[in-house]
Amino acid sequence: MIGRARVVAASLAAAVALLVTLCPAAAHHVGTYVPKDNEITTNFKQIKFSVQAGKFAVARRLFDTGPLQTDMRARAARLPAGLEAGLRAALEGGDGAEVERGLTIFFAALARDLAREATRQTADPTLSREACAAIGARFLEAIWRYYNLVDFAVARRDDRTSVVIRLAFDEATGYAKSIAAPDKLREPLTRIAQALSAFIDASTPARRGS
Amino acid sequence: MIPETRAPLQWRLPPVAVLLTAVVLIGCAEVGGASMVRFKVELTRWARHAMLARPATHGLVGVRDVDERVLDEALVKFDAGLRLFHLHAEGMGLVIIATTTIAATLAGSPASRRPIIVLLTVGGAGYPLGYLVWSGLIPYYGPERGKTVAEWLVWTPFGGATIVALWWLAGLVAWRMMRRERG
Repeated sequence: MIGRARVVAASLAAAVALLVTLCPAAAHHVGTYVPKDNEITTNFKQIKFSVQAGKFAVARRLFDTGPLQTDMRARAARLPAGLEAGLRAALEGGDGAEVERGLTIFFAALARDLAREATRQTADPTLSREACAAIGARFLEAIWRYYNLVDFAVARRDDRTSVVIRLAFDEATGYAKSIAAPDKLREPLTRIAQALSAFIDASTPARRGS
Repeated sequence: MIPETRAPLQWRLPPVAVLLTAVVLIGCAEVGGASMVRFKVELTRWARHAMLARPATHGLVGVRDVDERVLDEALVKFDAGLRLFHLHAEGMGLVIIATTTIAATLAGSPASRRPIIVLLTVGGAGYPLGYLVWSGLIPYYGPERGKTVAEWLVWTPFGGATIVALWWLAGLVAWRMMRRERG
C-alpha cells in the first residue's frame, strides 16, 4: 500500500517537474511596457490643466518654452495660417475656449498627417501583408495617442466627425490585426484623414466667417 | 515522553568551487547594477544608435511620432533586462549556496549528490546571464526575437537544469524523511 502511494507521489512529482521544465517560456516574465506620454502630449496636458485652473500666465509660459510650440512651428506649412499667433493671443487674453480650439486643431492636424502618411506607406506594393499590418497598427496607435486627447473637444464642436473617426479607427484596427486583409486598411485611414481635414477647415476662423 | 535518539544534523559545506561560483555571481550582480547606473546614458545612447541603424528589424517607419514609441519600448526592455540580470544574479547566488548546502548535507549517495550540485551550480549561475544576453540582443534583433533567442540559448537549458536539480533534491529529502519516519 505504502509502495503504491510512493509510486503515485513520485509520478505526480515527475509530471509536475516535466511540465514546469517543458514550458519555461511562460515563466520568463520580463516586465510590461506601458506607453508613456511623449513631450508634445505632456506639454499639451500641462497647458490644458493650467488653462482649466485659470492660470493663463503659467499656460503661456508652458506654451512659449515647451515642445508643443516648437513642433507647431516645424509643421507650420501644413497647419492653418495664424494658428500659433491665435493660440498665443488666446493665452494672453485669458480666452479658454479659444485656447481649446487652437489646441484641438493642432492635434487634429497631427492625427490627419499621420493618417495620410500611413495611407501612403501601406500602399507600398513591395511590403508583405505582415509588414503592412504591422506598419498600420503602429500608425493607428500614434494617431490615437494624439486624437484621443481632443476627441471630447471635437465631439462638442462636431459630433458627426467624432463618430466618423471613431468608426473608421475601429475598422482600421480590425484590418491591422488581421493579416488577411491589410490592403483594406487604406480606406478607413483615408476616411480619418478626410474627416479631420474637413474638421480643421470648418474650425479655422477664416472659413467660419465665410 | 519518548527520548530523542536521533543524532543532530551535521551541516556540510558544498565544494569550494561551488561557493566561489556563487560569490562571483553575486559580485557580477553588484558590478552589473553599479555599471547600469554609472553608464546609463552611454548604454542608452549605444542601444538607441544600434536600433536606428537597423530600422527594418525594429519596424521603424521614419515618422518620429511612430518611431519614438517603438524605440522607447525597446529601450525600456533593454533597461529591464539589465535590472533583471542584477536581481536574478544576486538571488541565484544565494539560491546556489542554500540548495547546494542542503544537497551536500542530505543527499547521502555521491551518485546523486554530485549531479545535483553540478546542476544547481551550472543552472543557477547560467540562468541570470540570459537577461544580460536578452538585453544585448534587443538592439540587434528586437525585444521579441531577442527574447526567443535568450530563451533557447540560456533560460531553457540553465533554468531547466536548476528546476530538474531542485525536484531531484526535493525527492531525495522526501525519501529521506519517509525512511526516517519508518525507521
